[in-house]
Amino acid sequence: MTTNTYIAGKGWLYRFDPRAKLLLMLLMCVWFFLPVTLLHLALVVALVVLVGAHSTGWHHAWRTVYSISPMLLFMILFMPFNVREGVPLVSIGSFTVITKEGLEQALRLMSRFIGITYVCTLLFATTVMHEVMLTLRWYHLPYKASLVVTLAFTYIPFIADSFSQISESHRLREAEDEQKKKVGQRLKDLVPTLTSALVVALRSIPNLAMSLEMRGFGRQERRTSYHSLDAYHHVCTNFLLACIIPVAFWLASMLF
Amino acid sequence: MQGNRNALKVAMVSVLTAVVVVFTMVVRIPTARGYLNLCDVAICFIAFTFGPWSAFIAAGLGTALADLISGYAQWAPISFVVHGVEGLLVALIVQKKGDATVSVGRKVLAAFICIATVSLGYFALSALFISTVSVAAAEIPGNIAQSAVGFALGLVVSAAVKRAYPPVSSLTW
Repeated sequence: MTTNTYIAGKGWLYRFDPRAKLLLMLLMCVWFFLPVTLLHLALVVALVVLVGAHSTGWHHAWRTVYSISPMLLFMILFMPFNVREGVPLVSIGSFTVITKEGLEQALRLMSRFIGITYVCTLLFATTVMHEVMLTLRWYHLPYKASLVVTLAFTYIPFIADSFSQISESHRLREAEDEQKKKVGQRLKDLVPTLTSALVVALRSIPNLAMSLEMRGFGRQERRTSYHSLDAYHHVCTNFLLACIIPVAFWLASMLF
Repeated sequence: MQGNRNALKVAMVSVLTAVVVVFTMVVRIPTARGYLNLCDVAICFIAFTFGPWSAFIAAGLGTALADLISGYAQWAPISFVVHGVEGLLVALIVQKKGDATVSVGRKVLAAFICIATVSLGYFALSALFISTVSVAAAEIPGNIAQSAVGFALGLVVSAAVKRAYPPVSSLTW
């Protein structure tokens, strides 16, 4: 099971300060909801995808859009039929199937959805996870909360591996082919596997608590951290850019 | 002593969060219309076994992290709210004092609240922030099936884990 969302690269997005990048992500998400024309929205989304793909590669951009394709399909199938008023584009006799407004609304929602998804994905594709955590701490996320997330990421592969091993060993004991079983039987057969996996996971709790105490968790002085965000330069410029980019997009959509 | 208890709480919530992520991402049961994931099994198990606060944090954080890792980052805040509230409400309803057993009526109410929270929560929040009413409505049957199956399995698994690993009862928060 892969829990790493980071894609190694060298583009300007990688050099952008993570704190400013998080702000830029939030501002861009807000921007996609501003009342701009469909053309401007589509152009900004295309530009974001272009810039992102230049940094992380086209394969990543394609994979992101592909992962949301079922939702996009739903939108294009249902939206045009819901909006009945407006200029008819496709009609069968007197019955209007698709209107111009319906199609426009579907395209607007699709563009917005692609934009938000891609912007959020880009942050995690161009920033390593411990820097995301440092960024959140810089924004005053409590230490305990960031510790919980870090520990959870450490334990996910361990629990996933245990689950796979337990699941395989249970499957080897069964004579019947998995594919021939009904969904109800499959769910029933899952109970022993889930129970065993949970017991393995729960047994690690006291050990983890003990190791946290041994490392001084709960003491007044903070633990030493080997990671920092000091390697990023021009922090103020990056923050300024994070604010200017969405404003520039908005002004451009007003003027042109 | 307080430090010990805090370390145990952090350890417990961390491991339970990881359990929710694994159940969401690894276990997928194919159905005619797609896949069912087992996040609700983990959430209901935690709610039955560990109490409201563990359920709220682990359920919300676990599903949000699973969304981030899977590339559905825009769903992460919605999952955090919906599943966090689901865990909290179910745990509050089935919370018991001492060794008393939970009545069937409370379990039925918890099941109803669990299904309603997931299906209506996703419907309302995704219609409001991500997609449209018609697209969000299309997801309701899948969410009802997933949360109903999750609640039933969570109940069974919770009883089985308490039998297989009795010290779990002392970890309630």
